[in-house]
Amino acid sequence: MVDAPLPHPELLAAIPRLRRYARVLAGDAARADDLVQETLARGWEKRRLWQPGTDLRAWLFTIMHNVFVNQRASASREAMNVSLDADTETGRAAWQVAVPPQQFTRVELGELLQQVGRLPVEQRETLLLAAVEELKYEEIAATLSVPVGTVMSRLSRARDKLRRMADERPAALKRVK
Amino acid sequence: MPMNPMPINDDDLQAYADGQLAEERRDAVELALARDASLAARVTAIREQNAALRDAFDPWLDERVPPRLIAAAEGPAHRGILARGWPALAAAATLLLGVAIGWLGRDAMLERAGTPTSFAREAAITHVLYTADQRRPVEVWANEEASLARWLTRRMGTQAHIPDLGPLGYTLVGGRLVAGNEKPTGLVMYENLDKQRLTLQWRLTREKSAEAGETAFRYVHEDGVSVFHWVDDDCAYALSGPFDRQRMLGLARVVYGQLAAAPKTTPAVPAPAPGTAPRAPAEPPKT
Repeated sequence: MVDAPLPHPELLAAIPRLRRYARVLAGDAARADDLVQETLARGWEKRRLWQPGTDLRAWLFTIMHNVFVNQRASASREAMNVSLDADTETGRAAWQVAVPPQQFTRVELGELLQQVGRLPVEQRETLLLAAVEELKYEEIAATLSVPVGTVMSRLSRARDKLRRMADERPAALKRVK
Repeated sequence: MPMNPMPINDDDLQAYADGQLAEERRDAVELALARDASLAARVTAIREQNAALRDAFDPWLDERVPPRLIAAAEGPAHRGILARGWPALAAAATLLLGVAIGWLGRDAMLERAGTPTSFAREAAITHVLYTADQRRPVEVWANEEASLARWLTRRMGTQAHIPDLGPLGYTLVGGRLVAGNEKPTGLVMYENLDKQRLTLQWRLTREKSAEAGETAFRYVHEDGVSVFHWVDDDCAYALSGPFDRQRMLGLARVVYGQLAAAPKTTPAVPAPAPGTAPRAPAEPPKT
């Protein structure tokens, strides 16, 4: 009926979640905000492709994921095939936790963020979307351009790795001040 | 219904822990959890991990949003005002008014212009015609994907982006040009292991306007072919396949997601005469 541009309040409300997802993808805060800006710009250009009534957040995540993948591909071309593969150091891009650990009620939460930062980017984005954003698996699959089975196996691997990391560092975990 | 004899697997446990398990599996999983403490412990561990992740990541949401991102959420009109001054505002206002007035009549207009609905119908027919062709469904095979994109770009006068559906189990067969009413239509074809074929077709639309030349997803079903179609920037797209609406929507979302993120379309290069090097069009004079 009516031209439904992206609802501005909802778009604004989505920014913190976009920034969080971007930081999980890009690693550092400055690159993450560039990614958010690019995503918002694309979102505006393509706004009539968003279907009112569907999850605006998931739609923006889809755009962001694809912008990130493209940037990574062109970065690796420009860097003369410096590998940005998920399992290399650069691809992991562990983030600096901006919030000082003391601000967490539990010290192990800061520890947990560091551990998530050591997962390959494909696993940590899947984990964020499922465990933190609580998107449906089908929604995640569409966002990441992969089958649902891949979502499940990435989740399973991410969860196991985190558990193993926690088990390997019991001393650190117990260092609660 | 008899109880599902399928054994409980890790996906079931994850889905149960995440609250996403299908209704019909729930009883079976709960029974297994009651019997096997190690399974129950795994579900508890996942739930505790989820809760810890939310506790760890949620403080990030409270960080102050930088002004440049708030400006980006205002849309291009706002950024235009900041960057170029008032004429942009006037243009945006005119455009908005135009969109508001023209919206109701828009479908009919687009249809008359030969855009979405008739394009979808043609796409369905074209899909059936070429996917059934076993010997030569495409003109250019996929073994040289880069040259396929270049060829389609050159022949159609608009940048061709070929989505990668490999992760979904669809490999690129190749592409072809299809004679359209007035503009050629580009077609790329994909195939899965069951030899089911998808086609993505696109062509330039008549009205070239970044603002008005977009529509939402539309769905039509023609003779057993599902078609999702949409107009984006200056191109109309149609994704066709032999699947139901839900499955096609999933595929269409992946395709438009990749196209939406594709590098910005370069200004259409006028189709060069064979042998001449394409030249960048001159910048229109700024007034």
